Amino acid sequence: MRKHLLMACACLFVSFFSHAQTRTVSGTVLSASDNSPVAGASVIISGTKTGTATDIDGNFSIPVKAGEGVSLEFSSIGFKNLSAEARDGMKVFLVPDETLLDDVIVVAYGTAKKSSYAGSAVRVGGEQLQGPSNVNFESALSGKVSGLQITSSTGQPGNMPNLRIRGIGSMNASNEPLYIIDDVPVTSGNGGQMSSRLYTTNSLLNSLNPEDIESISVLKDAAASSLYGSRAANGVIIITTKRGSGKPLVTLNASVGFTPSWATDNYETASVQENVNMLYSVFHDYQTQSKGASDDVASAYALKQLNRRFNRHGYQFSTQGSGKYENVIISEYDNSGRGGKYFDWDDAYFRTAVSQNYDLSVSGSTPTASYYTSLGYTSEQGRLKINSFERISARVNVNQKVGKAVELFTRASYAKSTKKGYNDSRNTGANLFMQTRNLLWGLYWPTDYSTGEDWTARYGSYAQNNIYYNKEWDNSSKTNSSSISETFTIHLLPGLDLKSVLSYDNNTVRESIYYSAKHFNGSATKGSIDEMRTIYEKTVSSTTGNFTRSFGSHSIGLMAGFEAEKNKTDFTRSSGENLAISTLHTVASAGSYSANAYSWGNSLLSLISKADYNWKEKYFASASYRRDGSSRLSPDTRWGGFWSLAGAWRLSQETFMKEQDVVSNLRLRASYGKNGTLPSDNYGYMNLISYVSPYMGEPGGRITTLGNSGVKWETSYSSNIGLDFGLFTDALSGSVEYFNRDSRDLLQDVPISLATGFSTTLENIGEINNHGLEIELNGTLMNRKNLTWTASFNTSFLKSSVTKLYNGADIIWEDPTGGDGRAQFIYREGESTLAFYGYEWAGVDKTNGKSVYFVNDPKDREAGDFIYKGRGATYDYRKANYTVIGDATPWASGGFGTQLNFMGFDFTANFIYKLGGKLYDGAYKDVADDGYYWERMRAKSYYKNMWTPTHTDGTEPALSGLDLTDAMQYSSRHLKSATFLRLKSVILGYTLPSTLTQKMLISKARLWFSGGNLLTLSKYKEADPEVNQYGTRGWETPIGKSYVFGIDINF
Amino acid sequence: MKNFRLIITVLLGAILTSCNGFLDMNPTNASNASKAIGSPDDAQVSLNGIMRGISTSSLYGRRLLLYGDVKGGDVTIVSTGRGDDALYEFNHTPTSGTYSGFWQGLYNAVMQVNTLLRNIDNCEASGVEGFDWYKGSALALRAMFYFDLTRLYGLPYNMDKSSYGVPDITEPLGAMAQPTRATVEDNYKRITSDLDQAVQLMSGNKAHINGFMDYYAALAERARVRLFMDNYSGALEDARKIIESGVFTLYEPSQWVASWSAQNGSESILELGMDSESNLGSSSLGYYYLRLQQVSGASGFFVASDYFLNRLGEDHDDVRWGVMDHDETSAARLGSCYKYVGGTSLKGDGKESFAAVNIKLIRLSEIYLIASECALREGDASAAAAYLNAIRRRSPSLSPSDASTVSLQMILNERSKEFFGEGLRFFDLIRLNQRIEFNDDFQNVPISTRSKVIDRTFRKIVLPIPQDEINANPAIADEQNPAYV
Repeated sequence: MRKHLLMACACLFVSFFSHAQTRTVSGTVLSASDNSPVAGASVIISGTKTGTATDIDGNFSIPVKAGEGVSLEFSSIGFKNLSAEARDGMKVFLVPDETLLDDVIVVAYGTAKKSSYAGSAVRVGGEQLQGPSNVNFESALSGKVSGLQITSSTGQPGNMPNLRIRGIGSMNASNEPLYIIDDVPVTSGNGGQMSSRLYTTNSLLNSLNPEDIESISVLKDAAASSLYGSRAANGVIIITTKRGSGKPLVTLNASVGFTPSWATDNYETASVQENVNMLYSVFHDYQTQSKGASDDVASAYALKQLNRRFNRHGYQFSTQGSGKYENVIISEYDNSGRGGKYFDWDDAYFRTAVSQNYDLSVSGSTPTASYYTSLGYTSEQGRLKINSFERISARVNVNQKVGKAVELFTRASYAKSTKKGYNDSRNTGANLFMQTRNLLWGLYWPTDYSTGEDWTARYGSYAQNNIYYNKEWDNSSKTNSSSISETFTIHLLPGLDLKSVLSYDNNTVRESIYYSAKHFNGSATKGSIDEMRTIYEKTVSSTTGNFTRSFGSHSIGLMAGFEAEKNKTDFTRSSGENLAISTLHTVASAGSYSANAYSWGNSLLSLISKADYNWKEKYFASASYRRDGSSRLSPDTRWGGFWSLAGAWRLSQETFMKEQDVVSNLRLRASYGKNGTLPSDNYGYMNLISYVSPYMGEPGGRITTLGNSGVKWETSYSSNIGLDFGLFTDALSGSVEYFNRDSRDLLQDVPISLATGFSTTLENIGEINNHGLEIELNGTLMNRKNLTWTASFNTSFLKSSVTKLYNGADIIWEDPTGGDGRAQFIYREGESTLAFYGYEWAGVDKTNGKSVYFVNDPKDREAGDFIYKGRGATYDYRKANYTVIGDATPWASGGFGTQLNFMGFDFTANFIYKLGGKLYDGAYKDVADDGYYWERMRAKSYYKNMWTPTHTDGTEPALSGLDLTDAMQYSSRHLKSATFLRLKSVILGYTLPSTLTQKMLISKARLWFSGGNLLTLSKYKEADPEVNQYGTRGWETPIGKSYVFGIDINF
Repeated sequence: MKNFRLIITVLLGAILTSCNGFLDMNPTNASNASKAIGSPDDAQVSLNGIMRGISTSSLYGRRLLLYGDVKGGDVTIVSTGRGDDALYEFNHTPTSGTYSGFWQGLYNAVMQVNTLLRNIDNCEASGVEGFDWYKGSALALRAMFYFDLTRLYGLPYNMDKSSYGVPDITEPLGAMAQPTRATVEDNYKRITSDLDQAVQLMSGNKAHINGFMDYYAALAERARVRLFMDNYSGALEDARKIIESGVFTLYEPSQWVASWSAQNGSESILELGMDSESNLGSSSLGYYYLRLQQVSGASGFFVASDYFLNRLGEDHDDVRWGVMDHDETSAARLGSCYKYVGGTSLKGDGKESFAAVNIKLIRLSEIYLIASECALREGDASAAAAYLNAIRRRSPSLSPSDASTVSLQMILNERSKEFFGEGLRFFDLIRLNQRIEFNDDFQNVPISTRSKVIDRTFRKIVLPIPQDEINANPAIADEQNPAYV
């Protein structure tokens, strides 16, 4: 079936004339796998350069010398070469070559043979995406492509992982790659408006069923991506969906999975007893330190505080002595019936999550048409009892040939995805995970012991009883996404095609967020409901002409065309307050309404062109140029040109390489080019007065933007040098690549005096450099009849640093994830793009348990209150200076995996790893709080490691009653090693013998088990070491360990 | 095949001809700022935007009012950590507890006014007329913003007027401007000159307009400013103009409680309009005084101190008990204030839920008490007593004052009782150089960032210039307030 895709790039050796005595031989070239015609196959008379190519029906006709003994050589991409005696009316069956097939990749505006492609692009086949989760394709890519870093910030189902190709190239604009599905750029990223409220949304790419994916190409360098011009600086992900081929094939996949636990420990809490003891110590210390009280007074005070807090929950407290570190005796209060028992909030909030997935597809082809249709259903529960994701998707891909010259390819897809009960904010009332680790004491119960009624008051720790409140709110995000594209291809002349693609995407996101009058978020408004609708429409039209021709040893390919794209987003919101009845969660039932509606959008016009040349499949050169005009820039700056140059040399085709049999493939390639990134703001160049401030029912306008009409593209200049090799007839193959990417004119929100009325202005100032080395290795360790064993490995070394800033001035910024300001970074010339910035914590003073900070006075190394480890130090962080304390960029990262097939069994294991770099734990400050004053629980590790007079080796500071805010400061105290190794997925399958299944009309039946995140090794033990793209961890829901059982059946 | 060529040609043609304007996209909720104003009606739209902008919870919607009460000793907390308690604790540094929203928000409001004034000037230069009132209103607003900025960041005028105030900005600034601090005296010069101009410009239209800085609101603001500058005669003059205009009338004692569940009452000289769109919900001022768990999520952020309750307790029949209800600590202690939720039954003010009541910024009662104080200072004790008694009637069991008994302390106490929760107390005490005592012992909350009693020599009576400002504007770095260097 892939041959259709490959037609466009087939390099044909066409030569028409021959003057000897001739006869004409006609025939048909068919695929041996399904008897479908092979179009564009090359037919050459042996020993000559004379040849022709098959037409769309696989027919050819060629004049050959009269007489016997003439043989023809047939070749086509994706098939093994074949030679056969010339015979009129001959039928030639080409055998598909699986290994060669993988060498064809979908690239910008076409396909290419890997061996002749000079850019840096990696293909991942759909079959490699199989794994424990079927929600999105991104997680399955994790660790499979060097230079592609995939991170996830939350374990809530339906969450969209974050992709970065070759580092970070922008501070202000997007770092996301461009996504192309079936030739058309698509809308990706957040769907809807919830990210500002709940810090998570239903991603638009969630509408794509991974089962429909034929292959994914990751374009990494300028030669590969600059045909996408102004949006390509962060790389491009091209997704190609499946097409039908051969006999009708019905496949049915079904699986069910379980996630009973988190993938790692997560801030496991100290026991209730230990936590009570710690809280007692804090109160005790407050009295002795701050009030100068005696131990007796302090102990009595501390017990009073404990009683005041927890009597109401049915517990009382006493001690035998009066010291700071007494063991507090917890006993029953007021015959509450709770003595000796504690409530298990983990059990109340979390569950063994169940996931299900069903896919049905029908595909096939006739000589003139091919079809692929699919229907998929997937549902995934979150471990949080309220959280779920569900998707129904359908797709029809039909390719129809009309006559000999015209081909129509119609693709239509529809998906509805629903995400419910999601929330990743660090809100103490709403974040269930944080509550179980930090706020919900086992001493709290969901009911009042004295009345038996639901406990509705906020607990003293600020947690809420969400067993009760989870019935009083809900939210959902429903995305209906439909996409239609039509491709006309006209074969005007041999080698000259005209292709036109028209596509329309519509993503309609309907969100609702409801709080009842009983809910703490709805009480002030007597219940509230927001219903929002965001409609994303994208229309793309592109037309390209493609010409390929060979002259003797020279082959050329030329492409030119244009593309127009329009994106429009319409937003409407209606809100109701004062809701009549708790069962109707609609605006209609509200006592008062409010509404808003507006739209925004952007457009892009482009001219594209490309030229390829190769000589004898040995030397390759290519060039591309794209000119883009964008509505996001002012008319003066909106047009920009983007280009690339690339060359490759296939050393293994040289005669001097043919004499040895160790190196089977050796190729050197290099590229250089320029591409861009658009500003993220649609109207950033305008000074805007926004009419979004109505006052007392009248319209109100406010100046909202200090525009800069000079703003232009961010540009990035990338070079790439790669070496591809195959050893021992490609039993060991791989590549080594070095890249350098200089990103310039980066948009910076330059901080300005707040007295101007604004905090920042946008300027093209900054520069960032990313460079690194990527290594990929693939090996066939064993290849016997019933046993194949392969392994792959990849690694990326990346250095990403800021090289220029506005006035050389530092920019301090915070990780935006979760909106909780969990970690602080600095952009500083010469430092990493992910440089953590904070106080340098020197550890705990063994003599008194206090935190020690190095002062880091830039002028005097020894300035400070005292000298500690040879440097100026202080106990008071306020006297210390912020400094760069670490880098989140790992020294190396990547993945490795192995696959084993044996007698019907298949086994796959995929690991991901990160070596070096730091992670900033923005959550540990809450559970290792050494002095702040609420009813907060602390982590077991803190209890174990805290300094006490009898444990002076403690690595965590002593508990203090002095309201210390040390733990909340940005400091290296929360900086941990980011190194880890994770068994991301493991799959064990068994294919039933076909002799058994064919009796049931089943051509193939496979049972499988898959496990996700089963094993994690790391230096950092407190929580999951696989952190977000900023290298930080907060209170996001962790990811789980999953166990999935499935069956695949083909009819 | 011919047909398909035709289709493609048509398609190509269609796309290419539609290129004109294809790349010009415009937002549907905004327009180009420099062309925003062409008529007085347009100026009104900008004024609406400014009023809405300052109604946020970080400015006049909540925090600016909290600032004046929470730091003034009449308010205390049950527990730390419930929110905005840094105000109570004076726990401010340039990087944490900065309350930089005041700095940023008020300067943003100043910028909106300056842009409006510039646009009006441009219109007037091209011959469009009828802007006097809008210009006056904008100037008076700017004066209000500067008065608050100067009090937040600079020392009281009668304490050290040569010390640093805030940058004096009267034009829209370019992105690269790095303004430095003017003196307190310069700031007050600007404030009074803006107010003088405003009063002058609006004198052609003295109609009271609900929700806006109108002629009388500007006069009232000027009375406040003059009082703060110890310009008693000036303040008295303005106060009398308002009182004698008859546009506003005092609530009868019997109406007083109900006035909190109505909008735009007869005392309201300046009231910020709130509605469902600007409903601050759990960020609203009223919510911060609700008793713990009065409604789900209410955190009992702030309660009245013993000192205030004792003061109001001079008369158990004082009508102002009507907006107080018991707090979480005891059924007998009426420490929770329900002024800004429409009274103890959470009625709201007749249009929306209780979290969207209008914010009463200046009331006639205050003008009476300003008049009383100024009359006393000017030596007219009987007038002072009369003005005071107009308010003191709200404590029916207390005997009225007279020329021999009226005192500054009585007036100050009356201000405390009348304006609890309205953001005046702290500024009264630092203006009058009185000690401020905090009721920390009420629930024994540990406070390490200030002592139990302070006065205006405590250096944290002003906020730090936010570090973000200093980072972006090094010119101001040497001008940080001394407590935060």
